[in-house]
Amino acid sequence: MSTARRAMAIYRSPLHPHHGHSKARCVKVLRRLSAYLDDELSVGICKEIRKHLGACPNCEEFVASLRQTVSLCGHVNPAPLSPAFKARLRTQILQAAGRG
Amino acid sequence: MKSRTQGHGADTQTAAGSGNDVEAFDQLYREHVDRIYRFAQRMCGQEDDAKDLVQDTFLNAYRGLKNFRGDAQISTWLYTIASRASIRMRRKRKGGPERELSLDEFIPTSEGEFRLQIPTEGLTPQEALENKEIRRALHQAIVKLPKKYRLVLVLRDMEGLTAREVGSIMGLNERAVKSRLHRARLFVRRELSARGIAGHPHLARTTGST
Repeated sequence: MSTARRAMAIYRSPLHPHHGHSKARCVKVLRRLSAYLDDELSVGICKEIRKHLGACPNCEEFVASLRQTVSLCGHVNPAPLSPAFKARLRTQILQAAGRG
Repeated sequence: MKSRTQGHGADTQTAAGSGNDVEAFDQLYREHVDRIYRFAQRMCGQEDDAKDLVQDTFLNAYRGLKNFRGDAQISTWLYTIASRASIRMRRKRKGGPERELSLDEFIPTSEGEFRLQIPTEGLTPQEALENKEIRRALHQAIVKLPKKYRLVLVLRDMEGLTAREVGSIMGLNERAVKSRLHRARLFVRRELSARGIAGHPHLARTTGST
């Protein structure tokens, strides 16, 4: 079974009834989810997407998981360099540039 | 790109020139090294690579400083140098292959794929990231991204730049930036969905948060 067919089967699964929605609509929503999360879409399109999400539990879960992903990315805070390493690195850079 | 960063390598006159270039460099380094190191850590799979990237970036910045005209923000100019340096870096074992991501590959094909399998429910992102496994899973998902997608995700979603700024740094129009960003996010989401992490973060807090 092709990927698209399997996807369609999942979207139509009795576990997640998908009354009145086609997989094509889910894919259309999926294509716009980042723009939706970033608030870049018109009021009309947002309303359409919200309507679809309300009726499609799979897409609702999907958008929540994408929102979580973006939010996690935005909160990663790597450890800073130590002052000693910064000083060492500065010396190395100036040496490499012929100013050591 | 308005800023001139072409001085890399060839512009040894700058490095050898007299005057206040070391002083100017010191100010640049002092004000931006933390930002560039943070960017480097987000881009690189390994700590040593991140440090190499910082060194390359500031060496090129030193050489190009004289040519910097100030018509771009200095942080954007540095991100441009750092981004080019990161693209040049040889792909190490953790780096994803340089392939195009297609939207079709992100359509879930089984029930479990719609939600994240990592336990973040009821937690703020900060709390979730205190869990070492979640932090590692996210980092691994990001470094697995093909580089041109990783660069967009890091600059936009982690460094917090606008799509326009990312486009200016990467030489892309905003539409292309948004398209790559969407695929990059879907990729990371799928990785986090595919990776099950046992237990609840509250139970694993003692794993530390460094």
